[in-house]
Amino acid sequence: MKIIVLKQNLMEAINVVQKAVMTKATLPILEGIYIEAGEKVKLIGNCFDLGIEYTLDADVQRQGSVVIEARMFGEIIRKLPDAPVYIEVLEGFKVRIECLNSYFEIRGMDGDTYPMPPVYDSEFTLSLPQAVLKELIRQTIFAVGNDENRKIMTGVLMEAVQGELKMAALDGFRMAVCSSVIKEDVNFKVVIPGKNMQEILRVLETSEDAVTISMAGSLVSFDLKNCRIVSKVLEGEFMNYSSYIPAQFETVINVNTRELEESMERASLITSEDKRYPVRINLSYDKMVISSTTEKGLSKEEIQIENSGNTMQIGFNPRYFLDALKVINDEKIKISFTSPVGPCIITPIEHDRFLFLILPVRLKS
Amino acid sequence: MKRVVFLVDMNAFYISCETTRRPELAGIPAAVAGDPKKRSGIILAANYEARKYGVKTTMTVGEAQKRCPEIILVPPDHSFYEEKSRQVMELLSGYTPIIEQASIDEAWLDMTGCEILSGQPRAAAERIMADIRDKLDLMCSIGISENKFLAKMAAEMKKPMGITELWVHDVPEKLWPLDVKAMYGIGNKTAQLLANLNIRTIGELAKVDPAVLSEKLGKFAFEIHQKANGIDNDPVTPHSPDEMKSIGRSTTLPEDITDLEEARKVIMELSEEIAMSARRHNKKGRTVQITIKYSDFKTITRQTRISPTNLARDIMQAGFMLLEKNWNRFRPVRLLGISISGFEEDFCDQVSLFEQANIGHDRVKEEKLERTLDQLRLKYGLDKISRAALIKRDPS
Repeated sequence: MKIIVLKQNLMEAINVVQKAVMTKATLPILEGIYIEAGEKVKLIGNCFDLGIEYTLDADVQRQGSVVIEARMFGEIIRKLPDAPVYIEVLEGFKVRIECLNSYFEIRGMDGDTYPMPPVYDSEFTLSLPQAVLKELIRQTIFAVGNDENRKIMTGVLMEAVQGELKMAALDGFRMAVCSSVIKEDVNFKVVIPGKNMQEILRVLETSEDAVTISMAGSLVSFDLKNCRIVSKVLEGEFMNYSSYIPAQFETVINVNTRELEESMERASLITSEDKRYPVRINLSYDKMVISSTTEKGLSKEEIQIENSGNTMQIGFNPRYFLDALKVINDEKIKISFTSPVGPCIITPIEHDRFLFLILPVRLKS
Repeated sequence: MKRVVFLVDMNAFYISCETTRRPELAGIPAAVAGDPKKRSGIILAANYEARKYGVKTTMTVGEAQKRCPEIILVPPDHSFYEEKSRQVMELLSGYTPIIEQASIDEAWLDMTGCEILSGQPRAAAERIMADIRDKLDLMCSIGISENKFLAKMAAEMKKPMGITELWVHDVPEKLWPLDVKAMYGIGNKTAQLLANLNIRTIGELAKVDPAVLSEKLGKFAFEIHQKANGIDNDPVTPHSPDEMKSIGRSTTLPEDITDLEEARKVIMELSEEIAMSARRHNKKGRTVQITIKYSDFKTITRQTRISPTNLARDIMQAGFMLLEKNWNRFRPVRLLGISISGFEEDFCDQVSLFEQANIGHDRVKEEKLERTLDQLRLKYGLDKISRAALIKRDPS
């Protein structure tokens, strides 16, 4: 194998596939990046739960493949000057890397022994603009749980039903649900590990270019123009999340999204990082007072609202509110409260494409 | 108001704890030592009878036996000392609510304004010392002053069972003649640096220009200069700053194992212990880590995150998952360990979806159950009640 590739392009490819490379593997080859030179150059990282293939343009002078230890390869390329990089596999899988005045010879491994991410005939496919999928992931991923004892909640539910693609995530204290119209008439339901979803989010662009989702057995893949991500799905039944959404409310308010976000930001300034304090929300008929008192001091914020229900005093972890508010683009939102110890939901006013549910904190009187 | 700060320092703590349950050790040279069977073990705490022979902490067992051939050596039982320490702290908290535990056997007490309750400082100290002796059968020394530093220096002056007052006005007479090496916070290296500046006593340190000192010692200079003058404004802060970061147990197996079921039982047993300890310290952790040491001594640690917990079931479940995922089963294991860390202070009583929707198990109820087991174990012994999976089958 002998290729010439631009440093920046190679670096970007490594950064993407490296996320799928194991850092502590039992076999050395699993800690490597697979490089294949055909018509183009393809880099692959694969840790079985997640496989990433990235294709980039290069001047291929001799075809072939090799596996290079990912961490060192990444470090070498990162520190090279911005110039074309020559990579050649010599005898015994020795890899020569050359760039301007720098020269490396490092040990590689036989590419033929690399465990490739599976290629399969998919049971169905679904194409949608990258920007749409990106937005759906962004609006749900923050609510993913991190309790490995409750594995299913560490994933994001992706469900296609009746011309709609729905996504949902919850960690036991809050929940995010959002949806988008799709053209294809497909039906499926999978739970994708949150950390794999994070990688998918990273490669998606805010563009109309398509991403194609396909599925077979316990695998789901996301195909982009120059990148393919294959993820294992999480086994088990996802919670019946819609049953947690209350139907009756005590207090319903309309509020400006950015005003609320900024006030919450300021209110949480005096709640320290390691000790979690709640913010206290007082809802009257025309305003909302957000206050917090900690050992460091106190803060108070006032926002105009339209309240079509009763007054209420309720406490929240401000982070849960901020995580949701940050991913809302709508100028105004509706927040519906059930009781000081029951869930509240944040929904849009003009449409029904998202719903965030947040559980409160019991306030000590 | 003038502050009143006590430092209560337990004397020869580990061995004194042992003596409370093994009265035969009283009056004869004895010490707690790491693995007395091996000559490589070291002395962790020697009683005063052994100290007369020159036996000191950190001395090797071999050296100690050379100096005192009849010394009785006892292997350490840290959970017992922890429990005794907790009893001491509980007793002390009857005298003032402001206690800063500095280590397992030392604590600062802010006694400011306690005269009405406990009398003049010396009288109060005498009561505390008698109380510890009568109720717990342990010895302590107490230093009395108006700040933490001087209280610590005072406690060092008379051991065992000494009560020493060292007020700021006593500093020139009582503190200044001492060697700088005797100063709390000054180690050999700093002492050497000071010796190069011709500073050998605390008095010489107190009189030197701190600017000269800071050239050699940096930021630290100002602090030690202040302390040498008896000034220390650091408040007695309940909960020591170096508070517990993790709770863990590990065990070297009687023989190497290759069987997953056996390994799970070990993890189960250890999880029970750390969960019990976590509950005793009122801690909930969110990171579970396991340690696997293979027969060739290669050691790996792997960790995972769970919801904050002090329940054995949660800890062992995470432990099992880590074990199954990371144990290379072709390799026999000689040691297994598990720990919980990532303790967080939580001022939020967060409502959870599980209690709302009534799904999953009831953690509140389970914690009550496990706490009841804790009490049974404390009363009747660790092995008296356990999970059915851990019951050792009678070989007959």
